[in-house]
Amino acid sequence: MGVWRSLNKSELVAALLLIGVGVFVLMHAWDWPYLTADGPGPGFFPLWIGICIIALAALLVVLQVVHTINQGAVSATNWAGAGRVLGGWSGLMLCIALLQPAGFVVSFLLLVMILVMAVFRRTFLSALIVGVSASAGFWVLFVKLLRVQLPAGPWGF
Amino acid sequence: MEILANLMHGFAVALEPMNLLWCFIGVFFGTVVGILPGLGPSATVALLLPLTMQMNPTGGIIMLAGIYYGAKYGGSTTSILLNVPGESASVVTCLDGFEMAKNGRAGPALGIAAISSFVAGTVGVVLLMLVAPPVAEFALRFGPPEYFALMALGLSMVVLLAGKSMIKALISMFVGLWLATIGIDMFTDGERYTFDYIELMDGVNFVVVAIGTFAIGEVLANLVSTTGGQMFEVPKGLRNLMPNWQDLKDSRFAFVNGSLIGFFVGVLPGAGSTIASFVSYGVEKAVSKHPEKFGTGVIEGVAAPEAANNSETGGALVPLLTLGIPGSATTAILLAALIIWGMRPGPLLIQDHPEMFWGLVASMYIGNVMLLVLNLPLVPVFAQILRLPAYVLYPLILGVSMIGVYSVDQRLFDCWLVGFLGLLGYLMRKIEYPPAPLILGLVLGDLMENAVRQSLMMSKGDVSILYSRPLAAVMLVLTVLVLIGPMFRRVDIWRLRAAEQDV
Repeated sequence: MGVWRSLNKSELVAALLLIGVGVFVLMHAWDWPYLTADGPGPGFFPLWIGICIIALAALLVVLQVVHTINQGAVSATNWAGAGRVLGGWSGLMLCIALLQPAGFVVSFLLLVMILVMAVFRRTFLSALIVGVSASAGFWVLFVKLLRVQLPAGPWGF
Repeated sequence: MEILANLMHGFAVALEPMNLLWCFIGVFFGTVVGILPGLGPSATVALLLPLTMQMNPTGGIIMLAGIYYGAKYGGSTTSILLNVPGESASVVTCLDGFEMAKNGRAGPALGIAAISSFVAGTVGVVLLMLVAPPVAEFALRFGPPEYFALMALGLSMVVLLAGKSMIKALISMFVGLWLATIGIDMFTDGERYTFDYIELMDGVNFVVVAIGTFAIGEVLANLVSTTGGQMFEVPKGLRNLMPNWQDLKDSRFAFVNGSLIGFFVGVLPGAGSTIASFVSYGVEKAVSKHPEKFGTGVIEGVAAPEAANNSETGGALVPLLTLGIPGSATTAILLAALIIWGMRPGPLLIQDHPEMFWGLVASMYIGNVMLLVLNLPLVPVFAQILRLPAYVLYPLILGVSMIGVYSVDQRLFDCWLVGFLGLLGYLMRKIEYPPAPLILGLVLGDLMENAVRQSLMMSKGDVSILYSRPLAAVMLVLTVLVLIGPMFRRVDIWRLRAAEQDV
């Protein structure tokens, strides 16, 4: 129980997920020819990659347990920092989801406002000023001057 | 004589107005990126890579290389004024640079950093110019087994020094190698791991992975803490930035030491500019008449690491341009850029594209002069960048990332992918899985698989071809030694020290 409590869960979950990735790589590679008449087939390289990922990730799990027994508890998580990262990433994913229906300018404006207000705790006015100038600046620089094609919303930008 | 003629041709290319402009843009952005803590040259090169796709490859590589070596000049400014390294190569500069600033000598510290960077950067280019052509000629003897062994050695060196845990670095590399197998198999035309997505038929877009894991991953990692540090003012006027005669005399050995150590460490895959700067600092301290003063603000303590991290660029370009083997994340992105522009990095690159190689070499001479001008009289202007608030900077980086990714193929799929890879990049940093081996694995994966499959085709399936040829055998033995070395306590202690410095 003590060992389980002091295990670094994120390390353990990552290693187990990697074993899963390795198994996935291996299972698919198994379906493709390992050797053909001309030499190694399409399954040759991925098969060895899968085996190596599984072996190394399993070794990591073992070392994680041994390390925990020898060294004791892990350091505490910075939940406030993790919250800011999650907030920033969610804003980014929302921006991507809105790229097609709302266009780059509007979705990026929204992303900037979320980041400035929710992650950096600035006022609405600061967020608006940064958001409008950044999205307008990007639109002029990339779309108008450099002719980069970006998704346009119903308003044409 | 042939080298001089080639160099003259290179200057003719580099001095074309557009190439001069690209060189200036590269070193300018490099300086800015170097100054900004939290945004590294690999992320910036990845960000700007999509914008170079419509460019002439020579102009493109001149600009991207400018960012690479320009960042090393800029990094010292933040180390000296803020005690925060602008990029990892400037970590050691903090030791004496910040102490000099505290003693009221920020000006000479910034001045000697720029001068030693210029001297060593130029020496690095001279050595690159002299060493690269014979290395390329030698590499013409390489067949698929030698290439496989060389890539294995390069990857193992990167894994050795990529982070505290070698197992994690190896996993990161194997995931990169797996990502490289996604798409159509070139030998059989069969699909591999495409999940029926048409977008994955051509493989995972390298630009998307690089921007996701480096640019977005770095921004997310920087959101964890939003606090800044106390900054010293930059003295106004060129006179206050110039080191005095005694400073230059004290630094003369540091210039030589940094230039040579930087270049030779740069040639080794995985070692990189951070380790070069630490080794050079250590040597400078060891031969000094007053080693006890190091860390209290001695000028050689700034000159040696700054010289080494700039000379390292020339060294790092040798394996990239002659063998097609990158030794770091940034050079891996440069390699991907060359492939995207339709070039075949390897021993024939200099022969097949002399204007690109010699144009790049000449542009680096010019770029170093530009950087000296940018980093001496204009350093007070650049230091103002440090006042740019994080809540303005990070959204701008995310915006450029999205534009960069979308502009490659105009596919929303790539934007989704970059979002998830950004989270992956953050999580990798958080649980200390180094992203550099993943990028190198992705870039070298195709080449490595081709080399091993071609080798086994040549031998009709006999695996001994991989280790029976002398050159390949030597490189494979070295690879094994690199991988088993850390099992010995003393080697592992050295490795951990080197890896910690590089983080």
